[in-house]
Amino acid sequence: MDKDILLQINDLHASAGDREILKGINLTIRRGEIHAVMGPNGAGKSTLSSVLTGKPDYVVTSGSVVYDGKDLLAMKPEERSWAGLFMSFQYPVEIPGVTITSFMKTAINARRKANGEEPIKAADFLKLMRDKMAFVKMKSEFAKREVNVGFSGGEKKRNEIFQMAMLDPSLSILDETDSGLDVDALKIVADGVNSLRTPEKSAIIITHYQKLLEYIVPDFVHVLKDGRIVKTAGKELVGQIEASGFDNF
Amino acid sequence: MEGNLSAIHDRKPVIGHGKYVDIPVVKDAKTLVVRSGEKMSRIVVLDGPSMPFDRIIVEENASAELCLVVRPGVSADLPVTVDMVGEGSSVYLSGIYICGGDERVSLRTDIIHRAAHCSSDQLFNGIVSGRAGVEFFGKIIVAPEAQKIEAYQVNHNIMLSDDARIDAKPQLEIYADDVKCSHGATIGRLDESSQFYMRSRGIPLDEARVLQMISFISPVLSRVRNPLERESLAARLEADIRSLL
Repeated sequence: MDKDILLQINDLHASAGDREILKGINLTIRRGEIHAVMGPNGAGKSTLSSVLTGKPDYVVTSGSVVYDGKDLLAMKPEERSWAGLFMSFQYPVEIPGVTITSFMKTAINARRKANGEEPIKAADFLKLMRDKMAFVKMKSEFAKREVNVGFSGGEKKRNEIFQMAMLDPSLSILDETDSGLDVDALKIVADGVNSLRTPEKSAIIITHYQKLLEYIVPDFVHVLKDGRIVKTAGKELVGQIEASGFDNF
Repeated sequence: MEGNLSAIHDRKPVIGHGKYVDIPVVKDAKTLVVRSGEKMSRIVVLDGPSMPFDRIIVEENASAELCLVVRPGVSADLPVTVDMVGEGSSVYLSGIYICGGDERVSLRTDIIHRAAHCSSDQLFNGIVSGRAGVEFFGKIIVAPEAQKIEAYQVNHNIMLSDDARIDAKPQLEIYADDVKCSHGATIGRLDESSQFYMRSRGIPLDEARVLQMISFISPVLSRVRNPLERESLAARLEADIRSLL
């Protein structure tokens, strides 16, 4: 396999209950590339991100997904995270009674343990927290807050980008991260993603608006419709969709 | 809290009807009296089958805060009666029970509002695993004289296994007409969507379950005002939670 390929999806079919939602997805993502997946409501965008991250509600009926040379679909959600996959949730979950600090420490140490490493040193962890909080423009009180509890929509999404920065993934999936964000929050999210952009790291940006893609310029744009990718082109496709919608695909 | 619970059912309360029958105030060896204007605050961690006291009398403008903790390994019958005899008194009664194995725990709280302008607030969260059986019978009685009172009761339960049994039965008997009372009881399981969220951050399933259970008992723990007591209790309960997995 081509060493530059980070993710290869072949003829992926997936269902929720009796309903087939993904009807043969093919997608290749190389290291360093940003792919936008656009499409109308109900096209299967969120199902695609759920299947990639291993959400239990979906059943893959056929096809394969190879991530960094490994069979992604055989891995548990936590193993996918350890391997460098991250998803920014469309609807982040609230966890009362668990602070951001303790949540992130648990997550980072779980990965270190899986890699046979010692728990992170307290000073290193604090420095990491401080750096990444500054990065998403969160005040220091943020560390003591309970995960997503009482957060505004914008704060929840910034918290997702913060976690992304903390976990430093190889492949980030942003599932409708732009929905419900004002322009300022959108810029923070976009700055976050752009500054994590390196020749090794890749991202899938799932959206049905073009706004976020003005700030994060994708290398490829895919139109997902009725469970299939019906069109793939460069960033110019965004303008075309903006002008005439998804009906022409 | 709702994030952690997928309610299987909500029990309807048993509402008192008919005539108020006066209940005598009992004072015996196992009665604690909180005198007028005094404040009592206690955490009782059960390590035997019964309570050191089972009755609290709360006088005028006094306040009582009691947190009951039942740890794994304990089977117990725990009746607690709180008699609010003086105007302007307040009661916070809370509890955490973590049960496994073949344990049997019966918690029965009777809050008797006898005087006006009082408030009572109850919050009990429990985790039941294995073949353990728990009953929570929470009764609030509001006497005809007890106008302008507020009485609240909430009981949440998580079942970790199909063989666990939980019987939650809230009861309200209200004989005064100008009061605010509410209750709620839920029985549920650990929520899969928050489990998936944590796992997607690299937290393994068992550790995610531990965090969910810590999260579930945290509203009760946060009622413990003294930070040192709260932290030490939290650490013991985290160990207890881990012992259930």
